[in-house]
Amino acid sequence: MKHLKPINNKALKLEQAADENRIEEVVAMNSVAGCASTTDPGWEIDAFGGVSSLCQPMESDLYGCSDPCWWPAQVPDMMSTYPDWNKDAQASNDNWRNLGTVFPEDK
Amino acid sequence: MKRTFRFASAGGLLALAVSLALQPQTSQAREAQAILKETCMACHTPEGENALSRISHQRKTPEGWLMSIARMQTMHQLKISDEDRRTLVKYLADNQGLAPSETDGVRYALERRLNTVEQFDDQTKQMCGRCHSGARVALQRRPAQEWERLVNFHLGQWPSLEYQALSRDRDWFDLARKEMVPLLAKRYPLDSKAWADWQKSMPKAEALVGDWSFSGHLPGKGELNGVMKVTAAEGDHFTLSVDGQYVDGSPFKGQGTAILYSGYEWRGNVDIDGVKMRQVFAANGAQLKGRMFEAAHDERGLDFIAARQDHPQLLAVQPGYLKAGSETEVSLIGSGLNGTPSFGKGVEVVKVLEQSPQRVRVLLKAAADAPAGLREVSVGALKGQQLAVYRDIAEVKVVPAFSVARIGDNGGATPKVQGRFDAEAWGRSAEGKAYRIGVFPAQWKVEPFDDRAREDEDVKFAGSMQTDAGVFTPGDAGPNPERKMSTNNAGNLKVIAAVDDAGKAHTGEGHLIVTVQRWNNPPIP
Repeated sequence: MKHLKPINNKALKLEQAADENRIEEVVAMNSVAGCASTTDPGWEIDAFGGVSSLCQPMESDLYGCSDPCWWPAQVPDMMSTYPDWNKDAQASNDNWRNLGTVFPEDK
Repeated sequence: MKRTFRFASAGGLLALAVSLALQPQTSQAREAQAILKETCMACHTPEGENALSRISHQRKTPEGWLMSIARMQTMHQLKISDEDRRTLVKYLADNQGLAPSETDGVRYALERRLNTVEQFDDQTKQMCGRCHSGARVALQRRPAQEWERLVNFHLGQWPSLEYQALSRDRDWFDLARKEMVPLLAKRYPLDSKAWADWQKSMPKAEALVGDWSFSGHLPGKGELNGVMKVTAAEGDHFTLSVDGQYVDGSPFKGQGTAILYSGYEWRGNVDIDGVKMRQVFAANGAQLKGRMFEAAHDERGLDFIAARQDHPQLLAVQPGYLKAGSETEVSLIGSGLNGTPSFGKGVEVVKVLEQSPQRVRVLLKAAADAPAGLREVSVGALKGQQLAVYRDIAEVKVVPAFSVARIGDNGGATPKVQGRFDAEAWGRSAEGKAYRIGVFPAQWKVEPFDDRAREDEDVKFAGSMQTDAGVFTPGDAGPNPERKMSTNNAGNLKVIAAVDDAGKAHTGEGHLIVTVQRWNNPPIP
């Protein structure tokens, strides 16, 4: 982190945690069945085992997750599997209600 | 059933393949063969002896096969009717399923116990369990070549996985191919003695027809018991009639259907008092055991165990505890219950209030000097359950200690996922040993987990806890303009239960993460 400087509080907290070697501990704690334990920044839980360092609100960056398959087990990936997932919700902050679940259930 | 093997050369390795060469014995089997031929063979290559590429080299649970076919639908535009899909799942689970012992330790995923903290080695957690459950992997069997294809598929379908944390810091692809593949092929091989033996001894579905006495426990609500009548329908299907009640007297009644896969995987759909519930049980001739949960809210579910009435067993003691020096009513639940129950030294049966083969209700009195601790309960020759006698509560634990609830509803597609908790009291025996007394009524509340949660007012926004039951209902989905940066109603909370024991309050704490919804929600998480 020599050449990078945190420019907001969230980045500062992350840098401090990395310096104190606390991040791996949190990752180990987060293996709840079906939750993502990759915390960059995390889907269910952030690198600190809380929720305040997740995207806020999640909808602001939702397509930044779905476009590059960032949480494919939780969020339908639009790069390969569900390219039309957001066809009725172009603005995620306003149209998130139009986003559907994707598992093809028996009718 | 005929089972053949063939050897295929793969990178110097001999890969063992189980063929689908099965002599059709029922109309359903013929139908499944026709579907495989007419629908699946459009992409999957015939390999002789009725085997098909990929399909013939894997074994899975019914949910695993359902997910594979669903993946063909979403990723490869497979068109298949629900009926054909059901037929294929049944056929594949029966002929290329898992033995009961091969699901040991990971049934929580099938039973939708989504607050389970998984126990896998670090490599499996980091390579597989960082996106989905480790159980999803542990519930499959493949030879090395098929595990390698699964790795290749992951990278092709989700190429950014190499850039994520726990990938970009290592040579993910090399590790996946050279370390994970051999490890998985060794740990979860296609060919196993357990499955070969199970195929020979697999009981017929008819063995499960009859009356079953059941016992259950629904966190946030309490214990229940009753009788489930199971009648045979065609092709390993059943019709069900459930007649039970909670300890508080409220009914638990309904009708439904069930199906048996792989000789033991019981899956039922029952309408209980207007609510659709799903049953995921492991069956043997004498017992059904698993979880029964609401189809639309799998967090609302009960631990369920049932005994067939012609196989005498003691299933449960409700409630399973008694305070020294007090009197209380206790029910014994099971099948073939006969004779006067015995509860060990210092516990007297004051009166038998009700007695049937399924339930014995008694008034018990514990002497003031009855030794604190667990004692064996017996009815006639039947044993296997315990009663806890306690003098004082030493500790209260919130169960689950760590859990995840999710915001939802508010016009969106995903329902709220509640938190459901029990307050479990623990005692200390005369020898100083900790023992579980049981689930107690409690007063419930939530508090901020840390300073950040206090600052962000998580308690105000993340949802509400019912004060007299451990039921937490999360807040609405969507950005909330009332919060800083319009953030979601997520929160980091302490769950606090206060149990009253003769005027003395004992509190326990759990940790609840209220987080965002998921839209990808297959049967195995």
